[in-house]
Amino acid sequence: MILPDYYEFCCRVQIVAGHDALEKIPALLAEMGAKKPLIVTDKGVAAAGLVDIVVNALKEGVTIGGIADNVPPDSDLKVVNQLAGLYRDNACDAIIAVGGGSVMDTAKGVNIVVSENATDLMAFSGAGALNRRLKPLVAIPTTAGTGSEVTLVAVIKDHEKHQKMLFTSYFLLPNVSILDSRMTMTMPPFITAMTGMDALSHAVEGYYCLQKNPLSDAHSLAAVNMIHQYLSMVTKNPADKEGRLAMAVGACLAGISFSNSMVGIVHNLGHATGAVCGVPHGICMAVLLPYGLEYNMHKRRDIIAELLLPMAGEDVYLKTPRAERADKVVSLIRQMNQDLNVITGGRHARYFSEVKDRDGKQMVPRDVLPEIAKAALFDGATIYNPEDSDYEDNLLVLEAAWEGKPLDRSKIKKG
Amino acid sequence: MQEIHAGGKPLKKAYVAIFLWFTGRAIQAAAKVDKEVKKEFDTLPDEFTFALGSLPNGPWMVVGKEKGKVKYFGGNLKCRPIHLRLVIKNIEAAFLILSFQESTALATTRNRLMTDGEVPYALSVIRILDIVEVYLLPKLIASLAVKRYPSWWPFGHKLAGRIGVYTRTLLGI
Repeated sequence: MILPDYYEFCCRVQIVAGHDALEKIPALLAEMGAKKPLIVTDKGVAAAGLVDIVVNALKEGVTIGGIADNVPPDSDLKVVNQLAGLYRDNACDAIIAVGGGSVMDTAKGVNIVVSENATDLMAFSGAGALNRRLKPLVAIPTTAGTGSEVTLVAVIKDHEKHQKMLFTSYFLLPNVSILDSRMTMTMPPFITAMTGMDALSHAVEGYYCLQKNPLSDAHSLAAVNMIHQYLSMVTKNPADKEGRLAMAVGACLAGISFSNSMVGIVHNLGHATGAVCGVPHGICMAVLLPYGLEYNMHKRRDIIAELLLPMAGEDVYLKTPRAERADKVVSLIRQMNQDLNVITGGRHARYFSEVKDRDGKQMVPRDVLPEIAKAALFDGATIYNPEDSDYEDNLLVLEAAWEGKPLDRSKIKKG
Repeated sequence: MQEIHAGGKPLKKAYVAIFLWFTGRAIQAAAKVDKEVKKEFDTLPDEFTFALGSLPNGPWMVVGKEKGKVKYFGGNLKCRPIHLRLVIKNIEAAFLILSFQESTALATTRNRLMTDGEVPYALSVIRILDIVEVYLLPKLIASLAVKRYPSWWPFGHKLAGRIGVYTRTLLGI
């Protein structure tokens, strides 16, 4: 374990977890002095009946100020402004976000507009532009992956200007996050698999990247343990209540870790692949995670090796020679992808050449890899990766991840 | 009410000021000598200007593009519109970073170096600074300043670049 000379850690989100955690919301809202929340969600979540479960849990003591289910898959500035109008028109006093990353981000954007009485959301973009508490925000994740229920970041897309606005502030942390097993119970196996691997990538990258610290480490280790133990199980058996709750908690732990320790090359290349080819983030994370570990192995072998204990347990850890523990971690993650691929009938991709859209068309043609490698040079996650990476390094990793071959570590440029 | 000011650290401030002055001139030189530095600047918008310096009162280094050429504009933040500021928290932290006791990446992770502006621009500027440091410093020291020292660069390339950057920096061309 590394003890840095200096580090910062913050997670002031109240987390309520359980099979009936939603029922606690009225009391929590009352504690915050709120009575009339606006529910922000998307059409998929609403159609799955998840908003109905939340509404039923809110029956006593809460007047619902409105239900907005028009959040697009990518958050959108126009929608943020429209929902802020709805919040004001209906005299709401809190926001409940029910959904995945886009819903959380949109809710955070709405919260900035209504709390700051802003007309231009852009004025609050970047780090540190917010300097006071916002309206109460309750986050209810419906996937076990993004961790955005405990992160201080929001990304809002301005589709007209083709810009992504990034907002970072401790004031964007939700006041309360509700982890309820009912919220992920209907998630299809394919989505369960990729969002779970997204959570694992947060936990693992949070453990080996440069901003790691003992507090983020503790969250990463617990997250790795839960996710490795339960992901395949719930993908195989979606109605497993215990497993669903464990995954929700694992993803939350991973979210706390990476929002303090940040992430590296896996997210760096994953963001670029998503931007260039539209591949879902969780798939990018699943494919790239073993390669990110291999790329950083010469700098982080001992640290990566420490992940074997929470992943495989004491027996395997002790039986594996010290020098081979880190490689064993990589092979276990590859094995997870393999298992998930089998469980989902091949839908969970193990490498980029396998990623297909709904029409069966390959989403990452080999000839776009140079474009992805170039785009990754401009993604902030590169800063936190232990090893530096240039265009050639990015391409080396992407080509291996496309073919599904282990990374040829002899080709990595070392300083 | 009496205002209390932080104690001055004249020696450290002087070191940081000289370092920034020299590095600013070296960036201008490297943009003419090194293909990679030129390529990085080509990706940045016309008239792009960045500043690197310390809170609360400097010193600062302002570098930017003017009519397609890269120029060092001195230490005045008001000399022209600045698109990106790489801000070091205080003079102690600036001394730590600029005396190579802490790399740029580590300084960022420890919240000592902050970005005020677009992240993609900041990444380009950090790559430029890394290359310039490799030319200016001996391997032993440069290895502390950058995340990965480019030991794969051919000796001739490094030597020619170093001579070119130093000559132009000292002559201010």
